[in-house]
Amino acid sequence: MDLHAVIDGLSVHEKKVLLTLQRLDGRAGVSDIAQRARIDQATVMRAALALTQHGLVEMREEKSSRAVLTREGLGYAREGLPERRMLVALASCGPELVDEVAARAALKGEQVQIALAWLRRKGWAEFLKREDKTVLGITEQGGAAISQKFADEVLLERLAARGHRVDEIPADLREALNTLVERKLVGIEEEARRELELTELGNQALALGVELVEEVSELTHELLVSGRWREVKLRRYDVVAPGAPVHPGKVHPQQQIIDELREILPEMGFVEIKSNLVESEFWNFDALFQAQDHPAREIHDSLSLSRPERTKLPSPALVKRVAAAHERGVAGSTGWGYKFNIKVSQKPVLCSQTTAATVRYLASHPDPPVKVFCIDRVYRHEKIDYKHLAEFYQAEGIVMDPRLTLRDMLGYLKQIMVKLGLPKIRFRPGYFPYTEPSVEADVYFPEKREWLEVLGAGMFRPELLHPLGIRYPVLAWGIGFSRLAMIRLGIEDIRDLFNNDLEWLRARRMV
Amino acid sequence: MPSITVSYRDLCKLLGRRIGLKKLTRHLLMIGIDAEASGDELKLEVAHNRPDLLSPEGVARVLKGFLGVEIGLPRYKLSAARVTVEVDRSVKSIRPFIAAGVVTDVKLTDEIVASLMQVQEKLHTSLCRNRRRGSIGVYDLDTIKPPVRYTTTLPDDISFVPLEFDRELTPAQILREHPKGIEYASIMQGWSRYPLLIDSRGVVLSVPPIINSESTRVTSKTKQLFIDVTGEDERVANQSLTILTTGLAERGFELRSVAVRYPGRRVRTPDLRPRRHRLSARNANEFIGLALKPRGIAKIAGRMRYGVADIRGDILTLLAPPYRSDLMHEVDLIEDIAIGYGYDRLEPTLPKVVTTGERTPIERLSERARRVLTGLGFMEVMTYTLTNPRTNFELMRARGEAAEIANPVSEEYTLIRNSLLPCLLSVLRANRRNPLPQRVFEVGDIVVLDEGAETGARNVRRAAAAVIGEGAGFTHIKAVAEALLRELGIAHEVRPIEHSSFLEGRTAEFVSDGKSLGIVGEIHPEVILGFELEHPVATFEFDLG
Repeated sequence: MDLHAVIDGLSVHEKKVLLTLQRLDGRAGVSDIAQRARIDQATVMRAALALTQHGLVEMREEKSSRAVLTREGLGYAREGLPERRMLVALASCGPELVDEVAARAALKGEQVQIALAWLRRKGWAEFLKREDKTVLGITEQGGAAISQKFADEVLLERLAARGHRVDEIPADLREALNTLVERKLVGIEEEARRELELTELGNQALALGVELVEEVSELTHELLVSGRWREVKLRRYDVVAPGAPVHPGKVHPQQQIIDELREILPEMGFVEIKSNLVESEFWNFDALFQAQDHPAREIHDSLSLSRPERTKLPSPALVKRVAAAHERGVAGSTGWGYKFNIKVSQKPVLCSQTTAATVRYLASHPDPPVKVFCIDRVYRHEKIDYKHLAEFYQAEGIVMDPRLTLRDMLGYLKQIMVKLGLPKIRFRPGYFPYTEPSVEADVYFPEKREWLEVLGAGMFRPELLHPLGIRYPVLAWGIGFSRLAMIRLGIEDIRDLFNNDLEWLRARRMV
Repeated sequence: MPSITVSYRDLCKLLGRRIGLKKLTRHLLMIGIDAEASGDELKLEVAHNRPDLLSPEGVARVLKGFLGVEIGLPRYKLSAARVTVEVDRSVKSIRPFIAAGVVTDVKLTDEIVASLMQVQEKLHTSLCRNRRRGSIGVYDLDTIKPPVRYTTTLPDDISFVPLEFDRELTPAQILREHPKGIEYASIMQGWSRYPLLIDSRGVVLSVPPIINSESTRVTSKTKQLFIDVTGEDERVANQSLTILTTGLAERGFELRSVAVRYPGRRVRTPDLRPRRHRLSARNANEFIGLALKPRGIAKIAGRMRYGVADIRGDILTLLAPPYRSDLMHEVDLIEDIAIGYGYDRLEPTLPKVVTTGERTPIERLSERARRVLTGLGFMEVMTYTLTNPRTNFELMRARGEAAEIANPVSEEYTLIRNSLLPCLLSVLRANRRNPLPQRVFEVGDIVVLDEGAETGARNVRRAAAAVIGEGAGFTHIKAVAEALLRELGIAHEVRPIEHSSFLEGRTAEFVSDGKSLGIVGEIHPEVILGFELEHPVATFEFDLG
């Protein structure tokens, strides 16, 4: 990085530290710099770290122990050690009762005991017998000591002026130090001393010129209107540093796939229609030529309703034609050959196939051309697990026009998949109760490197079309929507199509 | 789709030639059978309408034609067996029909016995609708002394040793104690007499549709089979018998027919005569989108095991094998022609059907609502419409009516929601460990009961949003709701209301043309705590149309 740019990017504090260090001959402790630059130590440290990262200074850290007076020690440094005070008093009054000497020395309670103990230990005084009384008297050693300071007192005095690093204390005072530590008059503190030193790069930078300019972190309204923005310096940011993320509001992943289909299908000329979530068995099954005892109509396959209790049937003529198709067949068909029950037709059911919607539409739009699609929820009698949902989306559509063929059906299926960006498709026979011929299509998914069945289609049976009055072929196709969505979204558990965990939703990229 | 397991080796044996596994599964797929192989075992998925493919024999029969090993109509020699079934009047009101046949010269291996049991079971669950419409019994004919009587008995009037048991039970005991009795007892509910198949010496063959007797059991030593299908549907009984017997004929066994004597009526079963169908070549070509000549279609029909009785101009008269119970209409023949031609050879074509596509207005409006709300930083959620009274009503401190499921899978899903708010609160509950604030919305359908509606209920598209944590106040949520209404161009007024789910004095209603559109407000503390939340929640919900 260009050194000019580095200098330019320094904050005011960083620059101050650099300049101060220069004044202190290129090497100084953090506290000294703080004192000199009149900024607090924490700020110096922050600046020092940044300068170290730029390679402008080096930081060394030394661990050392410091001798510092305790509170008691500080008091004695001011007033003298208790034994010294006792000695002075004794020298002026001669041998005397202990209490008397203590009073003269202005010592009380515990201090008297301390003084006596140390007078004896230093050999300055002794007890004498005088007229049945025990008095305190000065020794020869004591006499000599009056005019002379002991090593512990010297050290106490020095430490009172300022704390010393232990290794700075001269060898002749070391023993005194131990004594004072023992007497809890001096404490030893561990201290980390940080020292900064200009590097060669730092000196080069200073040689190029480091100028102190007023620096602001944000451009404000005042700066803009006053014109002061020209004078101040906007602090440079570390634009590479990661910041706190923000999350946009998003459309649900499954909805994004639905939207994709909703865009493609109208482009292909399909008109969207909606289904009824609550449907009659008539439209959900009967009109689709599904026999009333068809397994798909059993209690274990679809969800029937106890409320509402009954649905209204369409015109009696239509119901009669549908019933006839079931019972004995229409348009050359044999039919299912059972007794059609109109009560079953009236029963409400949760829509189990969107074909109910497309067939309803056909019934009211018998004239070609018809091209409609429906994407809606359908329901099944399923326990929800990683492979099954009780409600899910279906996407399906129909085309009605004269002269449509099975090959045209394949053409539509291929076009839908091409539009979805999945052009590799292959066809095979399939079976659906209301289409004949029927086809299933496997599509190649490059992301899974697999052919998977995602489309089912066919031409509506005449037994379905005839009662509705439709005279032209109708192509019907359905997309295995959940499977397509799962692959598109890269999910393995089908329940994730309805996953509403906000952290999960935030983390997912839009498709 | 029903599925069966067959042995690859056995299938090749039935085909009379070895064919690579990969090639075999590819051919099967092109006939409409999904195959999955593991070792010698092939799992085949067969279409619902093709019960004749529920056995390896049936699959081999179709493959033979498709591969050209044996084409045209399978012919069955059927001579009369000296076996009669006499039907008693008493069965009429409970299980009126029986079809029966005899198979001789059988050489059974364990494999064939297993396959026979499989096809029996698969026919029971599919074509026979769990034995209700029909049920099959297979017996060792040499243990029976004909004529066989199809009659009824009182539940405790007779006893015999049922299959898999070592002691005698009465039919009533079988229903209580035998696993098959327990499984199928519901079919017999309300019957005072039970069906009974018994021979001239009084040896019990079976109590249809439940269980056979141990004494008539088929073993690998069995030389002749007696097969019966009883049921409430004569068509199903005959179809099942035909599928079973013609399948065994593929093994080279001999088929014999049985005289069934109903009171006042006599029939011979099985009836293995081919059925005649007309097929117009023009119709086939128009449907599929091909230009095949009638002779070409006849050739394909042969590969699909049809006989061709006659071609006159455009019209072919086809003879369909007796086991094809699925042929209802010419379109069923046309599909077979398409399959015989090969779906993989059909080139897709794209016709010009000129229409103008468009999305439905409600979905356009919904998409705009999504754009506005995501623009305001709300995250879309998608929840189930299936719910329960506790979530939908009780936790909301609300009362009301909703569509109810008659056969719920679990207690969790017994209703269809009539509001989005409980769903959003449930989402917040599921997210209660995630950082606050949270802002979510849903645009989705609810269902309201409506006696005037054709189905007694209607879908209503709604938009709802909720904020929890910072910003979860009335002023903010109302501003959001109004921004949405404004952007959607929905003119409205605001009126104070009271609602048990919301805080008093902090709830308002949106009204348009005197009709309530929806509600906005701060959620009541009891509701918040009920959903196990610990921070204020503000929401709105309104109809999009």
